[in-house]
Amino acid sequence: MESMVSTGLIGLSVGTQYALISIGFTLIFGIMGVVNFAHGGFYILGGYIAFSLTHSLGLPYVAAVVVSMSATAVLGYVIEILFVERYVADHMATMLITLGIYQIMSTGITLGYGAEPAEFRFPVSGSLRGPGFFIPYANLVVFVVCTIVIAGIYYLIFKTRYGIALRAMADDGPVARAQGIPPAKMFPMAFGIATGLAGLTGALVTPILALEPHGGEAVVTKAFIVVILGGLGSVTGAMVSAFLVGLIEAYSSVYLGGSKGALFLFVVVVLILLVRPQGLFGTVDRKA
Amino acid sequence: MTPNRHRDFKLDICSVVLILPLLVAPLLTESPLLDSLSFQIAIGVSATLAVYIMLRMGLLSFTVPAFMAFGAYAAAMLAKGGTTNLLLLMAISFLVPALIAVPLGAMVLRLKGIYFIFITFVFNEILQLIIFETPTLTGGSDGISGVPPATLFSLDLAGRAGIVLVPVVVCAAAMLCTLLVTQRFRAEFTSIEENETLAESLGVAIWKYRTIGFVASAGVAGLAGFALANMLATAHPSSFASWSVINFIAYAFIGGRGTMLGVVAGSALLIVMNSIFSSYAQLSAGMNGVLLLVVMIAAPGGLVGTCVRLYGAAKTRVNGALTAHVQEERA
Repeated sequence: MESMVSTGLIGLSVGTQYALISIGFTLIFGIMGVVNFAHGGFYILGGYIAFSLTHSLGLPYVAAVVVSMSATAVLGYVIEILFVERYVADHMATMLITLGIYQIMSTGITLGYGAEPAEFRFPVSGSLRGPGFFIPYANLVVFVVCTIVIAGIYYLIFKTRYGIALRAMADDGPVARAQGIPPAKMFPMAFGIATGLAGLTGALVTPILALEPHGGEAVVTKAFIVVILGGLGSVTGAMVSAFLVGLIEAYSSVYLGGSKGALFLFVVVVLILLVRPQGLFGTVDRKA
Repeated sequence: MTPNRHRDFKLDICSVVLILPLLVAPLLTESPLLDSLSFQIAIGVSATLAVYIMLRMGLLSFTVPAFMAFGAYAAAMLAKGGTTNLLLLMAISFLVPALIAVPLGAMVLRLKGIYFIFITFVFNEILQLIIFETPTLTGGSDGISGVPPATLFSLDLAGRAGIVLVPVVVCAAAMLCTLLVTQRFRAEFTSIEENETLAESLGVAIWKYRTIGFVASAGVAGLAGFALANMLATAHPSSFASWSVINFIAYAFIGGRGTMLGVVAGSALLIVMNSIFSSYAQLSAGMNGVLLLVVMIAAPGGLVGTCVRLYGAAKTRVNGALTAHVQEERA
């Protein structure tokens, strides 16, 4: 019983990590129609920035996480303006451009830090033990931070004027433009927010999992799974499906074994996509 | 034949002709560098052709590594069983993935755009996991090692020249198959790429041509997988990792996705460049990324597409100048 509860808690913690990474991914698609293959690159970059700041400059971990998020957000903003903005209408071109950017990012990181995984440890160790459960403090901290950030993103998207404008762009770009919403401002901001979230997740999660130059590939694969399940472009769908994926992964890795659990997850996703291509919460048109 | 079709056909034939010298290269020289480039280009071109066939219909398929794995494992199992005839191994490595592509295509070809990309990507991941979960059949994480080299009747293909020749022969077969499919169904593929709804309303059976393209692409990828397994004497899951497809996509787009010559040019350019900078192996992905970025921004038609466009523009200018000159003289 203790194992079941603990596994569930770890699943929820993993789910929040997936949610944070997938919200950014789905946000960019929902608003701009861009499949950002470089999303995993920003995740890894966030991890390496935090690693450098804590290990080389001796900055406190919290400050390093904040700087990582800001740096990846600014970099995403600049990349959107320089490389993505002009090609937003061409899905294939933006996909290949972001693929190229990812390759450049991972190569740059390999050159800077080497191909071997970096020794990046979470500053807090130990586990919280209670009646019938235990959870590592690291997972608990990540869970709490991710939950707060997700709530913030939810507030931003659904309660602020900026979020309403973003959703308007996602719903109907031409009408939103006619209403005076400028895509030239909205797109880079949305891209920056998404890459900032990826950087934040990287800075938070890589000390628990692993920090290596090509780690972004697994992250993008996971983001694919989550957004397919939730419905491409749906923020709510991404959140719900991230928790589902986290829980399925946690329980299946304990009770079925890692590989079988992942296989089960992939097959479920394919079946859902075949029966309901727009995902659990998606609509036929893309929407934030 | 329309002028564009005639031009593209000539470019496609050019690409086949360009590959042919690789058939005699290992017999004329013993340079290890040339050997290495020959089989790398041959395998790269074969795998990229699988991407190219789908791109002719406007579909970006990520299934290439999975179908390569089917071809490689099928041929490796057959060779381990004692059947090493090159023609039989090529046939089985084409047929197995092609047959698997029929029911798979019926499921996934209903999807469009990004959903198609996602599901083909996930399919790779599923296959990798299946390989790991079936060690008795596929060798699991160890793969199938000690695959005997192919033979052709009394010809010994186990030596240096043979190991290079097999991928080149396989590449030539893949090119002919691609040429056959893309030329035979050129009009249908182009109509699907340009406007699927309009094509359907004009009576083009979209599902039929998509399936034909998907099956051919799977078979060609299977051939590439066999060439790789024969060269390495191993069918190993790491050779068919999902993200390896990025290289083939980069080859197609950098060379030019519109013609087979683009596939050959892109594959050859990137493989030769990676070989030149082999002492900086970790740079190769970044170099591909930079080229991909530059091509998508500055030359969306790729190297061959851009050359064709510039040649066409120059020709028009020259013709215009000549016409003006003739008119002036007449006046």
